[in-house]
Amino acid sequence: MPEDAPLLQITDLSIRFGAAATNLVDGVSLSLDRGETLCIVGESGCGKSLTALALMGLLPTPPARLMSGTAMFEGRDLLSLSLQELQNVRGDRMAMIFQEPMTSLNPALKVGEQIAEAVRRHKGVSRDAARNRALDMLQKVRIPAPEKRLDEYPHQMSGGMRQRAMIAMAMANDPALLIADEPTTALDVTVQAQVLDLMRQLQDESASAMIMITHDLGVVAEMADKVAVMYAGRIVEAGPVAAVFENPQHPYTIGLMSSMPSLGDRSGKLVTIPGIVPPADAMPEGCRFVSRCPFAQPGCALAPPMREFDRGHAVACWRAPLETGVDAPSPEIAGAA
Amino acid sequence: MLGFLARRILIAIPTVILISVFVFTLQKLLPGDPVLAMAGEERDPEVLAFLREKYRLNDPLYMQYFHWIGGVLQGDLGISLRTRQPVLTLIGEKLPVTIQLAVMALIIAVFIGVPTGILSAYRKGTWIDWLANIVALSGLSIPNFWLGIMLILLVSVNLGWLPASGYAPLSEDPLRSIQTMIMPAFVLGTGLAATLMRHTRSAMLGVLKSDYVRTARAKGLNERVVILKHALRNALVPIVTVATLLFGELLAGAVLTEQIFTIPGFGKLVVDAVFNRDYAVVQGIVLCTAVAFIAMNILADAAYRILNPRMRDT
Repeated sequence: MPEDAPLLQITDLSIRFGAAATNLVDGVSLSLDRGETLCIVGESGCGKSLTALALMGLLPTPPARLMSGTAMFEGRDLLSLSLQELQNVRGDRMAMIFQEPMTSLNPALKVGEQIAEAVRRHKGVSRDAARNRALDMLQKVRIPAPEKRLDEYPHQMSGGMRQRAMIAMAMANDPALLIADEPTTALDVTVQAQVLDLMRQLQDESASAMIMITHDLGVVAEMADKVAVMYAGRIVEAGPVAAVFENPQHPYTIGLMSSMPSLGDRSGKLVTIPGIVPPADAMPEGCRFVSRCPFAQPGCALAPPMREFDRGHAVACWRAPLETGVDAPSPEIAGAA
Repeated sequence: MLGFLARRILIAIPTVILISVFVFTLQKLLPGDPVLAMAGEERDPEVLAFLREKYRLNDPLYMQYFHWIGGVLQGDLGISLRTRQPVLTLIGEKLPVTIQLAVMALIIAVFIGVPTGILSAYRKGTWIDWLANIVALSGLSIPNFWLGIMLILLVSVNLGWLPASGYAPLSEDPLRSIQTMIMPAFVLGTGLAATLMRHTRSAMLGVLKSDYVRTARAKGLNERVVILKHALRNALVPIVTVATLLFGELLAGAVLTEQIFTIPGFGKLVVDAVFNRDYAVVQGIVLCTAVAFIAMNILADAAYRILNPRMRDT
């Protein structure tokens, strides 16, 4: 594996459910370098969690079907590993934190055991060594009285503490890639900031790369190096976080930014994006945002490709970049294609 | 845990008292005169009056109850109106036989039903699941007496592997005891296995969808550990509940199977006592069964607390 190859390179990932006619994740390509943080943003149901679960091999198949794609991670294609190879990777080189700390820990097992078992599974160490590692990790995630917490059950902990325990579990084997699926959504706002802080600090210490899935642009601004905006199963805009925030190009990204409430001027209503995400059985063939887009034009009936227009900043819109306004293909061309 | 058990036993006392009152009253409401049953051909009014006096059947009902319950508290369940043996002795002879049968049947049921249920849930929608469900449905549909007779025909008559009937106490001849009991236990156990399998399947289906099972997989644990350590443990609470209920049913409801295999168990005692209006025996049996049921439930509650840490704080 060449040194300059990205840690993770997802190419053309498409996922479909059951006999549906459209892909719920459609042609997603992403890349991530060592130590980098990528945020995937989008509203519920846009396919961001599906993408993460597919990487971990945790999508239930059936009903989910992998239609196309590769995900090269440390020289292996995650999407074509056997179950056993996958089991060797997950929890070790690649770990995941889930959205619901209340239900993601096993209620019948002690927290210490749940962390230690991940260590024993991959490092082949003794019970004592694994338990010590679990204690280390609980200290690292700043859970008070960690010795006592080792032998407690999840229901004896608060939501914030459980999420810290989840983080301890995921980071216990120093993974090269951490996938966090809305890790703070279920937490109180004050706890959210603490948990994000903690994750960033642990990530710095361990040099892990991270994919953070969120619908919260505040979290993106806080955490991300790179951001990918997903809409209805496709990536519509991706790039360095500063570039995307300062110069959003896709009409959906622009809508997302302006619908974020701010502390400043409170006059007027919150901006919303009109319309709804088209249901899976009525997904337009071309650009999937077309029904809600203020800039839609006939050419949008043809799916726009991701085009890089600035260093690393790419967008899937015929109108982008907005300043210069590339013309969409005329309807005749769209019809011919 | 000890405090919990003590508390549960204390709470059970009013229940037992209530049951005793209920049992006693119900008996008196039943048609039929025990004295006539006892006297047989004899119809001399003086004899009947004497018997009524002797067994205090002329006393007011509440006096009869207190007399009975006073004896019960001293370990005296009364005398069988028919055989003149102490009820406690009768029950003491028969109950261990039925308990042995019930335990063996339950073991067979658990060893068949739980693994099949797990497999069927894990392979939901595949041919394994279908097969397990069809077998379970057959198990539920085949009457015990028919299966019992067919087994005797095959295993005892044609193959000569096991004795067709008879009974030996476990304490005297353990091997022969198990040999004679294994067929009836199998007959009872397969029926229950079907019920257990269905419940295990549905409990496991729920648990397998849970977030913590996904977490266990995300840790890279292999499927065996995910299923047996992370999923099964959480699915066990409903399984234990069903097993407890089934065990209770076995204690009282093995009459037919006991008859077919001529096992001198509790079931025959119950039927004989009811048909002969042997009040003392029926009361004793119902009371014992009720206490056994309550004890089983307390044990099940204790099991829940072991299985589910969340219940320990309540």
